[in-house]
Parts: sequence; structure tokens; C-alpha cells
Amino acid sequence: MTSAIEDPLAWVLLVSAVVAFLVVMRARGTHKELRRKNAALRRDLESARGELGHLRADRGARDVRHAEELAEVRADAEWATKSVLKSAMGTLSSLAEEQQVLLDRLLRKYGDSEVLADLMAVDHTGSQFSRRTKGISVLCGGWLGRREENASVYDLARSAQGRIRDFDRVGIHAQSGVHVVSKAVEPIAVVLAELLDNATKYSAPGTPVEINIQTVPRGVCLIVDDAGVGMSQEVKDRSSALLAGDGPVAITALGDPPRFGFAVCGLLASRYGFSVSADSVSPYGGVRAVVRIPQTLLTADATPPPVAEGGHRGHGAPRRAATPLPGASPVAGTTAGGLPRRRRRETTAAVAMSDAHTPVPAEADRAEPAGAVSASRIGAFARGTRRGRISNNAEGHKEQ
Amino acid sequence: MSPRYGGDTVTSRIVRSYVITGGRSLPSAGEPALHTLITLAPGRKPPLRQSPESRAIWQLCSGGYLSVAEIAAHLALPAGVVRLLLTDLSEQGHLLRRAAPPRAEPAERDLLEKVLDGLRALV
Repeated sequence: MTSAIEDPLAWVLLVSAVVAFLVVMRARGTHKELRRKNAALRRDLESARGELGHLRADRGARDVRHAEELAEVRADAEWATKSVLKSAMGTLSSLAEEQQVLLDRLLRKYGDSEVLADLMAVDHTGSQFSRRTKGISVLCGGWLGRREENASVYDLARSAQGRIRDFDRVGIHAQSGVHVVSKAVEPIAVVLAELLDNATKYSAPGTPVEINIQTVPRGVCLIVDDAGVGMSQEVKDRSSALLAGDGPVAITALGDPPRFGFAVCGLLASRYGFSVSADSVSPYGGVRAVVRIPQTLLTADATPPPVAEGGHRGHGAPRRAATPLPGASPVAGTTAGGLPRRRRRETTAAVAMSDAHTPVPAEADRAEPAGAVSASRIGAFARGTRRGRISNNAEGHKEQ
Repeated sequence: MSPRYGGDTVTSRIVRSYVITGGRSLPSAGEPALHTLITLAPGRKPPLRQSPESRAIWQLCSGGYLSVAEIAAHLALPAGVVRLLLTDLSEQGHLLRRAAPPRAEPAERDLLEKVLDGLRALV
């Protein structure tokens, strides 16, 4: 026994056992403490997570609301811009039209004078000015002025040609006897002018731009070919979307400087019921743009639908330019019998006068109601929109 | 009250005169003069591709002599523009032109009175 008590090894063992016990006890304490802390932290984390989720949801809701409000503000701004621009451009295009009528008179008055060439140059810039104002006005919801007379497709093409800067690069390659009804003359001319403007702008200065007039089974196609570099797929996609004209066009999203052309085309085409495309390649490697005018907007007759009031016409007599009156032949010495071409003129005049009885114009009449119905629908829609915005417009116009 | 919707009537000439001339420079003012008489040369056939204005001139001139001023008035086009079209047509040999007939010499009043007196004496 004593040996055990005296044995130092036994003491060492005892001491180390005690130390080990103490260490284990302490470790247990620490472990417990850590567990407690861990649990507390986990609780905190859970609540933080919960809060985060809550905040996230809140932020999402705010984002949605913000986006909505932003869209609303944008739409408001767009609408305000449009209505101001529409009113301003309406005034400008009326003025431009007034100027052109004035120039028509001046050109005839000074037809024999040295200033004629200069007047024609002024007229040219005036026409371009007029086209720009018309385009912007249309994009802003404005309406084009209406012509009183039908125009041949050829004259319509020449009218469009006159509205761009490099008109002398444009060649018109076929003549067609078909006429476009009066209400569609301006819209189609504006659209064609925009296409020609694009064609001349995006092709080398010396290269030709061609208009081909093709009669197709269901109407007439005006085909514009240029020798430019064509469009990339991206540009093509964007322009196709604009030309389809089925969505509202944000006037502020057309670039800077803004490219109104295709947007104007799409809008007018869908408004008046013809179609425009620019997605094919011209034989010269550039862009081929096609305006297809449906049968409903065409007529075989040069004279307008019977809205003519004699008194008013007297003032505009010069506009009969291309159709000299057969009866008023100044050639006193000759008899009418020797002039087969004049006789034909007289018959067309006769047909035009009696167009209620003849079958051919009756067909044209039958085609008319479809156009008239859509016109009245568009008109009704426009009136509704206008009523909603009437205060703004009325203000704008009073100011003038 | 209702605001105008840009729906005014457009009355300006649809084809502008610089398009009709194709942007070419105009002939000088006296060539041909306003009173020069123009007619269609005999036996000419109208070319296949003619602008509506050239066709109208063709028709107007096919019946006899007509002055440049009259043609311009009938087409309602500036005289300078008509002059260019006429120059085109006559360069292709389609037109004949003739100076305006000289003004009649006014007869002397004395002589006329004598003739009148003589006639009265006869009756």
C-alpha cells in the first residue's frame, strides 16, 4: 500500500486524471455556451432572412409601380410632344401648301421671265419642306390634306419625285393608265417620296433610282430600286416592324437625327389600306421597296367622284393642265372631223359625265363604299381621339 | 370650334414644273418667241414614251398652227417649261414652226374714205 502511496507514478496519474476531468468539464461548458450562441445567431439569421424577403417583395412592388409610373409619364410626355408637334406641323404644312399654290401662280405669271428657273428652285425646296412637315404631322396623329381630283399613277410618281432633294436621279419606267382615287393621292405620294428619299440618301450620288409601275392582278405596284449597299438584317427587321404600321410609334424613339421615313410609311399605309415593304434586294444590289395599291384605291377614270361644284372649280382651272379642252380648240381653221385623237377625248369626257349610267364606272362605284366605310371608321376613331384631346388642340389653334 | 385636322384641301399642282423639265436648264427667253406659231410636222407618229405634257402638246398642235403662248396657256404651264418641251419635240423633228405673220400695214385713211365715197356714189 505504502508503496503505492509512495509511488510517484500513481501521483502523476492522479494529478493528470484530475486535470483531464477539469479540462473536460470546461470544454463541456464552452460547448454549451457555443451551442447557445449558435442558436441565438441562427434565430437572428432567420429573422434577418425574413426581413430581407420582405424587403425584396416590397422593392419588387415598388419597382413595378415605378415602371408603371415611368411608362405613364413617358406616354404623357409622348402624347404632349405629339399634340404640340401636330398642331405646329399642321400650321406649317398649311403654310407650305399656301406657298406652293402661290408659286403655281407666280410660275405662270413669270413663265416667260428670267426668274422662272429661280422660282422653280424655290418651289423645289418648298416641296421638300412640305413633305417633311406632312410626315411629322402624320406621325403625331395629324391628317394629310386631301386632293379633289384623281391622279394617274404616273403623275403620282412624278409628284413624289418632286418632293425629294435629288429628284433628277429618279427615273420612272412605265406608264400606266390607271388612276388613284383622290383621297389616296396625297398619302401614297408622301409614302413614295419617303421611299425615294431613303433610296437617294443611302446610295451613291451618281447612281440611278428607279420607279417601276407594275399592274398586278389585285392592284398596282410601285417598285423603287436603288443601287445602294442595302440594309443589314437588324435594320431590315426594324424597318419591317415600322412599315407594318401595327403598333403606336414613339416619336422620340426614332433616333437623333430622327428617321421618320419608314414610320410615316407604315402609319399611312395602315391608315389608308395599302401596303409598303422594303425587305427585298434590288437588281442593283440595293434595297427594293414596294408600294402595293389595292384595287379599292384605284379607278380607271381621271375625273374625281362627283363632288365638283362648278363655281369653285373656276378658280382652279389651271389644274386641268394635262387635259386640254376639246371644245375650246383654238385652231379655228380646221374641222373637228380630221382629229381622231380629239374625238376620243370627247368620248372620255362623255363617259365621265354620264358615269352613273355606264357599267364601267358603276363598278368603280361599287368598289368605293369599302373605302368610304373604312374612311368613315377611321374618321370616327379620329373624332373620338380628337374629342379626348380637344382642349389641347383647340388651344393650339386659337393661338394661331 | 372643332380643330382643323390638317384636312384642308390640297390644291397645288400635283406635278411640279421642275419635275416636268427633269431639272434641266431652260432655253433662253426668246427661243422660240411667245408668238412663234407651231404645228405638227406632217406624217409624224407619236413616240412610244411621251410624257403627258408632250402628248398634250402633240394633240394641241395636230390641228394647225398655235402660238407658244397659247400652248402654255392651254397646258397651264409656265412658258419657259413649254418652250423646253417644244424644243425637245422640234429637235426630234416632230414640229414645224413659223414666225408670226407680219403686222398688216395700216391703209391710209384718205384712201379708204375715197373708196367709201366712190362706193356710196355707185349705190
